[in-house]
Amino acid sequence: MADKIDIKNVAKLASIKLNQEEEDRLKNDLSMIIEHFDALSKMDLPDDKISIHPLGMSLNLAEDIASKSLTHKEALSNAPESKDGQFVVPPSLD
Amino acid sequence: MSIIPTIGMETHVELKTNSKMFCRCHVLDTELPNESLCPTCLGLPGSLPVPNKKAIEFITLLALSTNCSITNDGMFHRKNYFYPDLPKNYQISQFDLPVGTEGSLEIVVDGEFGTVEIERVHMEEDTGKSTHIGSGRIDSATSTHLDFNRAGIPLVEVVTKPLIKSSKEAVAYIEELRQLVIDLDISEGKLEKGNLRFDANISVAHEGDKELGTKVEIKNMNSLKSLEKAIEYEISRQTKMLIAEENIIQETRHWDEKKEVTSSMRSKEGSADYRYFSDPDIPNMILSNDFVNEIKTIIPELPSQKRKMFIETGLSIEDANNLGKNKNWIGDLYLSITEITGDSKSSFNWVTGELQGQLRKLEIKDLPNWVTAKNLSEIILLVKEDKISFTSGKEILANLIEQEIVPEEFASENNLIQENNIEEISKIVEEVIENNSEVLERIANGEEKLIGFLVGQIIKISKGQVNPSVAKELLLKEISS
Amino acid sequence: MMNNYKLPISKINQLFKNKELKPSELYAETFERAAITESIIHGHLELFQEENLKKALNSDERYEKGENLGTLDGIPIAIKDNINISGYATTCSSKMLSNYISPYDATVITRLKNEGALFTGKTNLDEFAMGSSTENSAFGPTKNPWDSSRVPGGSSGGSAAVVSAGSAIASLGSDTGGSIRQPASFCGVVGFKPTYGTVSRFGLVAFASSLDQIGPITNHVEDARLIFNSMKGHDPRDATSLIESKAKQPKLKNAKIGIIKELMEDGISEDAKKEVHKVAKLLEAEGHEIIEVSLPLTKMSISIYYLIAPAECSANLSRFDGVRYGNRVPGSTSSEMMELTRANGFGPEVKKRILLGTYALSAGYYDAYYGQALKARAMMKKEFTDIYEDVDYLISPTTPSDPFKFGEKSDNQLEMYMSDLCTIPANLVGMPAISIPTGLSSQGLPLSVQIMSPSNTDNTLLDFSESLESLVAFTEEPVINGVVS
Repeated sequence: MADKIDIKNVAKLASIKLNQEEEDRLKNDLSMIIEHFDALSKMDLPDDKISIHPLGMSLNLAEDIASKSLTHKEALSNAPESKDGQFVVPPSLD
Repeated sequence: MSIIPTIGMETHVELKTNSKMFCRCHVLDTELPNESLCPTCLGLPGSLPVPNKKAIEFITLLALSTNCSITNDGMFHRKNYFYPDLPKNYQISQFDLPVGTEGSLEIVVDGEFGTVEIERVHMEEDTGKSTHIGSGRIDSATSTHLDFNRAGIPLVEVVTKPLIKSSKEAVAYIEELRQLVIDLDISEGKLEKGNLRFDANISVAHEGDKELGTKVEIKNMNSLKSLEKAIEYEISRQTKMLIAEENIIQETRHWDEKKEVTSSMRSKEGSADYRYFSDPDIPNMILSNDFVNEIKTIIPELPSQKRKMFIETGLSIEDANNLGKNKNWIGDLYLSITEITGDSKSSFNWVTGELQGQLRKLEIKDLPNWVTAKNLSEIILLVKEDKISFTSGKEILANLIEQEIVPEEFASENNLIQENNIEEISKIVEEVIENNSEVLERIANGEEKLIGFLVGQIIKISKGQVNPSVAKELLLKEISS
Repeated sequence: MMNNYKLPISKINQLFKNKELKPSELYAETFERAAITESIIHGHLELFQEENLKKALNSDERYEKGENLGTLDGIPIAIKDNINISGYATTCSSKMLSNYISPYDATVITRLKNEGALFTGKTNLDEFAMGSSTENSAFGPTKNPWDSSRVPGGSSGGSAAVVSAGSAIASLGSDTGGSIRQPASFCGVVGFKPTYGTVSRFGLVAFASSLDQIGPITNHVEDARLIFNSMKGHDPRDATSLIESKAKQPKLKNAKIGIIKELMEDGISEDAKKEVHKVAKLLEAEGHEIIEVSLPLTKMSISIYYLIAPAECSANLSRFDGVRYGNRVPGSTSSEMMELTRANGFGPEVKKRILLGTYALSAGYYDAYYGQALKARAMMKKEFTDIYEDVDYLISPTTPSDPFKFGEKSDNQLEMYMSDLCTIPANLVGMPAISIPTGLSSQGLPLSVQIMSPSNTDNTLLDFSESLESLVAFTEEPVINGVVS
C-alpha cells in the first residue's frame, strides 16, 4: 500500500519541501490512514446530487456596492518584502 | 493530402461591475498599486468570499445572448495551483457546472456569415498583476513585483469548441465577442486595457483523420493583429513538424511580439492537476427560471440583430457588420435617415463617412442635439437630387455641426443651390461659346482638355450655381453640333 | 462563596448594576488568576493587559451612569488565537504566523465589542486547529488545570483551560470535529458548538470550511446561551451564514432522548459510559423517556471526517506562502521560496493533513476518496434527520475517556483521531451539540456528556441543557498544582 502513494508528487502539488525523513514517515502515515478508508471507499453509495453544505443552504448574492476596506499601508503591513508600494518576491517564472 | 488546422479560443472578459467578484472592493482603474484591497481579495487568514450579484446577472446576459443553456443548479469550484499573483493559491472558478453551455455566436468573415460554437461560459476571479524586474527577459528577472488591485475582479471565461478553422475566423470571432460584450454593457471591451484577453489552442491533423492532433496553447497575444500572426505562425510550425513526422508536444507556448514566433514556456508541459472541488465557502448557486426570464427581458439589441436590420435596409453583410461596430446612436441614425431618404447606400456613406469623419476631426464624441435624422436627410436629399453639389453638402454639414441651421435655407442664402434649368444653362453656354472662339478652334484641333476650361468659365459666370455635369453635357452638345 | 470569576455572567452583571462589583475589579481578579495560573497551564499566548485596564475603566463609567452596553459589558472573555482581532497577532499557534498582526476584526469580535466585552487575550491551540490535545502548538502545550501532566484537549485547549482556571469568565473556541466540546470536557467546563451557519465564520482562520463553527466555552450553560445569542445571526460577509429560519423545536418537558448505541461500544471507557447512564436516570426521574437508538453510519464518521477536513484544509492553507505575510524563508525563485516557507512554517501534523487532503483530491483519487466521503456524509445527514422524527435529543459521551497524559497518544495517529469519535457527527451533519461536565472519573478527572438536537434548535437545546445542568449539579473545580482558588 505504501508504494501507491507518490509522496514526492503530492508534496510538489502542495508546495511543501520535504526532507528524506519526512518523505518516508509521511508516506507511511498516509498509507496507514488511507488503508483505514478502505471500508468507506468500497461502500456502494447512491449517485445523488451532492451538496457540500450540511444544511444545503441557499446562496445569498451580494449587491454590487463598493466600499473601501484596507488602506494601502494596512495591506502592506505584514509584507515580508515590499518596494514602491508593491509586494516583492523572488522571480516567478511563467 | 492536405493538413487541416483546428483552433479553439479561450477568452476572458473583464466585467465592469462596481465591486469585485467575491468582495466589495472597488474595481479601480489606477496606477497606484495595492490601493483597493480587503482581507478577502488579499487572501488574509480568516477571510471569506461572497459572490457579486451584478456579475452573475452579467454572465447570464452573456450566456443567453450566445444561445447557451443555463445551468439552474450550479456551483463554484476551487482551482488549486500555486503562483505569487494568486492570493489564496487557488482561484475560485467553475468546473463541471458552468453558468452557460452549448451556445453559438454568429460571426462575419470576409463578408459572409459564419457560426462559432461555444462550449461553455463560466464565472471566475482575476489574479493580481506580476511585473518581472530585471533585464527584461522573463527568465533572467531578479525579482517580481506584485500589485493585487486586479485580484478578484470578475472574469467571464468563454470557451469555444475546437472547430475554428482559420486565423481570420478566430479574429472575426473575437471582434464579434467584443462587440457583444460592449453592446450588452457588461464590459468596456478594450483590448489594450486587458478587458478582453484570449488564448488560442491550436492543433493540426491530416485531412480525414478522425482525431484531432496534439493541442498547443498559445498565450500572450495582445491585439487582433498578433492573434492572426500567432495563429498563422503556429499552424505553419506544426504543419512542418507533422509533415516531417516529428512529435508535437502538448505544451503552452508564448507569442513573442518582437520576434514574431511562438516559443516554449519552460514549466508547463503536460496538463496540470488542479484538484478541482466545490468551494465549501459558497453554497450552490441556484439560478431560478424566474431569474433567467427576468434577465431575458433586459437583453438589448444584439450585434446579430442590428446586422439583420441593417441588411434588411439594403446594406451588404460587410457594411452592416461594420456599421454595428460603432456606438448604437450611429446605427439608429442610419436607420432613421434611410427611412426618410429611401437610399441606404447614400445614407450609409454619409453617416459613416462624412459625418463621422467631420466629428472625429473636431474631436466631438456625441452628436449635438440639434443635428437630427431630419436635417441630415435634408442635406443628403439635396445632393441626391442634384440641387447642390457634394462639396456644398459637406459645407452645409460642417455648419450644421457647429450651429443649428436649416440646410435648404442655408443653401439658398449662400448661393449653393445649383442651377439645373437647361434653358438657363444653355444661355450661359452660348455666351461662353461666343466669347471663346479661339479656344473652340483649339478644341476642334484635338485639345480636349480645354473643355474643362470652358466649363470653368460657365461656372464662373453663373457664380458657381450651375450644375457642372449638366453644363458640360450641354457644352459638348453645342460643340459637336 | 463562589469566587466572582466562577459566577454566571447574569449574576456578575447584577453585581455590576447594583454597584457591588466593578468591571475593573473583576478584571483585576481574572488578571490575578492569570498571574498565578499561566506559568503552570500556559493557556494564553498573549494577554491584553494594557488595553483592558482602559476598557475596564470605561465599562466602570458606563455602569456608573447606568448606561451599560449589554449583559456582556465588562466581562473578560478569552479568544482562541485563530480568531482575528484587529491590531493584534493572530498566530494560530503556528511558526508561519508568529509575526502576523491582523488588520481586521472577525465578525464575532465586532459583535462582542459592541456589547462592551473585554478580551483577556489570545489563547493557545493545536496549530491551525488541527489536533485533539494542544500538543501540536508551535509555542508549547497548554496543561490541563486538573492535572498538569495531562492534556487539556484540543484544538481549543487554551480556551478551555483558562475558563477552568479562572483567568477568563468565558472564552471563544472553534469546533471542526469536536475542538470546543472535547477540551471543554477534559477541563470540566461547558462547551457549545452551534448549528453550522448560525455564527459567522468571517475572521475565523479556516481549517475545514464546511465543518468549522465558533462557539463559547463557559462555566455555566446560561453563559453559553448569552454569548451565543450575542454572536449569532446572518452576516453578509459569510456566504454560509444562515438567515434565521423556523424549525420544529424539540420538547422541553417529557422529551424523548436517544442514547446512540454505536457511541457506547468499543473504544469508549467504562467511566464515560457510566456518566451517560447516570444522566439518563436523572432525566427519567424528571419525566423524560430514554431509548436506545442506532445510527450505523456513525461508525464511518472518522473516515468521512478525515477525508473531508484534510481536503478542505489543504486548499484553505494554500494561502500561507510567504508572499503577502507570514515568516518567509528566502529562495532563488518564488516557487522555491514558497516551498521552503511552508516546509519551515508548518508543524508535522499540519503538513500531514495538507498532504492527505492533497492526495485525496488529486487526479485519479477523487471519486474513491473525497467524492465517496461527500456521499457518505449526505447519507449520514439523512440518517440523523430520520432519527429526529422519533427523538427530541440525542445523548452520548463527549469523549471516549477522561483526559490522557502528554505523549500518550501522540505516537499513534489513529488513536488520537479516535478521540473525536463522539463529536465528529455533529460537525458532519451541522447540528448543534453541547458538552456538559457531569462527574469525575475514577482518577478524579472531569467527565462530560454530550447532548445534540436537530439543526436550528440551538436555544431549545441550551434551555434543555440548563435544566440538565441543575439536575447534575456538578460543582467541582480544579486545584491547580496546590494553588488554592
